Amino acid sequence: MTVPKVIDIESIYKTYKNEGLETEVLKGISISVGEGDYISIVGPSGAGKSTLMTILGCLGQATSGTYLLDGEEVGELNDRQLSRIRNEKIGFVFQAFHLLPGVSAFDNVMMPLVYCNKTPGDAEERVERSLNRVGLGHRMGHTPGQLSGGEQQRVTIARSLINDPKIILADEPTGNLDSKNGAEIMATFDGLNREGRTIIIITHDLAVAEHARRILTLRDGQIVSDKINETFQESRTSPARATAE
Amino acid sequence: MRLFRNLAQALRGLRLNKANTFLMTLGVMIGIASLTVIVSIGEGTKSKVLNRITNLGFGPESFSVMSGAGRLFFGRSRNTTSMTLQDADDIRAMPHVTIVVPRQRKRMRIINKKEFTTTRVYGVSPEWQVARGWTVVDGAFLSDMDMDRKRKVIVLGATPAYKLFGEKDPLGKKIRVGQVFFEVVGLLEKKGLTESGYDPDDRALIPLSTSMSRLFRQTHLHSIKVVTTHPGRVKDTMAGVTQILRRNHGLSPLADDDFRFVTPEGIMQWVTESEQALNRMLFLISTVSLLVGGIVIMNILLVSIRERIHEIGVRRCFGARRSDITQQFLFESIFVSLLGGAMGAMLGWTLSTGLKRFDLLPTKITWDPFILAFLFSVIVGLVFGIHPARKAACLNPDETLR
Ligand SMILES: Nc1ncnc2c1ncn2[C@@H]1O[C@H](COP(=O)(O)OP(=O)(O)OP(=O)(O)O)[C@@H](O)[C@H]1O
Ligand SMILES: [Mg+2]
Repeated sequence: MTVPKVIDIESIYKTYKNEGLETEVLKGISISVGEGDYISIVGPSGAGKSTLMTILGCLGQATSGTYLLDGEEVGELNDRQLSRIRNEKIGFVFQAFHLLPGVSAFDNVMMPLVYCNKTPGDAEERVERSLNRVGLGHRMGHTPGQLSGGEQQRVTIARSLINDPKIILADEPTGNLDSKNGAEIMATFDGLNREGRTIIIITHDLAVAEHARRILTLRDGQIVSDKINETFQESRTSPARATAE
Repeated sequence: MRLFRNLAQALRGLRLNKANTFLMTLGVMIGIASLTVIVSIGEGTKSKVLNRITNLGFGPESFSVMSGAGRLFFGRSRNTTSMTLQDADDIRAMPHVTIVVPRQRKRMRIINKKEFTTTRVYGVSPEWQVARGWTVVDGAFLSDMDMDRKRKVIVLGATPAYKLFGEKDPLGKKIRVGQVFFEVVGLLEKKGLTESGYDPDDRALIPLSTSMSRLFRQTHLHSIKVVTTHPGRVKDTMAGVTQILRRNHGLSPLADDDFRFVTPEGIMQWVTESEQALNRMLFLISTVSLLVGGIVIMNILLVSIRERIHEIGVRRCFGARRSDITQQFLFESIFVSLLGGAMGAMLGWTLSTGLKRFDLLPTKITWDPFILAFLFSVIVGLVFGIHPARKAACLNPDETLR
């Protein structure tokens, strides 16, 4: 049974150039991700995990290689089109939260809707629904400064969900949290995956990586292992499971 | 609409970054305030000069010849002694000349018992009153008889009269001018201070013959006022006067004139020229002050972009286009400079009014600086906002989030 691919990258290279100094960070990476998959990427510090994520998230362009996202060739898109993809298809969650300071949880979650081509009529209900689903319905008026780390991270998840994206990209989402909060966040991701959303999580923490169905190990800009997680619990409603590889 | 959503984000950005907003607003406010104050001072000075001209008592058919070369009021040599009564008589003999008033002039101390003051003392012929059209409110003006007999009589302007006699009646009283006693025979009508603070009433008049032989003890004149029959005659008459004076003063054809003309037209021209110079200076100063305001905005925006680099990155992550970021920051700078412009205009208006109220500087409030302020604020916001805004937009989203 084949599952439609949402992400298909082929021999991606990425070289940073800084004042004549060239650093080759990604050295020929190919991954394909089926819809509804749950992937974690692990690897030592400096391996290029975050770099890979910026490329997957259309935040930066690869030096060479091809990237098909939901059937679109990303390398050929302009700023407008890339912005639209980030707005509609991808939800980001960061280790450092990156919430707008001084702005209420409600408005932070609302922010991606500002950049929709057409603001949905039920914008406010959507924000409320999104916050309720991460259990923060009672904290909508609080600013990031008035929220705990775990709560802030849940706001960012609510924000990443607001446009109902196909893919959620999370870079060390539990990195700044204690184990209890981390577990709660991971439970939220598990739930999202069960709904059929594609989730890619970058992490140092093996316990976190174990939540995923598939674990990729990155070392020195190359994928050194790509294995199915045996302990993954198949308790989901989504039927699509198999990988293309 | 996307544009309005970006505007809303900009307003929120300003609200959240109050310190920066305050500083930027202050920068523009100072620029615009100084612009409006400077312009109102310029306008005030202009109307002051115009006022001064009307107070010189010139009609369009008259002019003055002042002894000494130079331009208008600024004689190059103060000691020219070549202009005499003979010159005045020769001018009087010219066609189309109706009145000729030879004058001597000196600042002197005048004394009434214990009261004294320093004023401009003029030795004039009785025609002075007709030529100037200045009425006498009490007593009489100098007469031909006074002139012939070299009488020691004096007509006081309102200022020295008040300083020496207060509310008392000076008529018939003796006052001392230098070492010589004069009898007060008339009082000039009070004209009042001009806007510039020039006091036309600060003067005293005595017969020219008396000033020549008894007070100043000199025969040369300070100036001659000439009234012609018609404004159209002024030019020809001036040419004729030039010939007469050069001949009388024995000037060789190569020598410069040792006298100068003061005409209403000349004054107007001088005013226009100085006005232009003034305007150029005003323009320069206000441009500089606005430039400073603009640079303040630009710097603060650039700093603020450093501070808000994460915000920019996050917005880009969630779908903001480059143009959205550009618009947001541009809206911020335009809004700030409009706010600063409005506050600056208010401050400028207050300062201008204050300067005038407390007699510090002549100011005149017109609409121009406020319209200018509005235009300039928008321009400053645009010009100095575009660089930071574009810079913010061109940041790579992946690099803004490290
Ligand atoms: N903008 C850049 N310019 C130059 N080198 C860079 C840049 N960004 C990252 N690098 C380099 O690329 C390498 C990979 O960085 P990356 O952030 O992808 O690592 P990582 O796997 O996410 O590490 P960590 O687990 O510590 O987050 C590092 O050696 C880093 O120094
Ligand atoms: Mg990283």
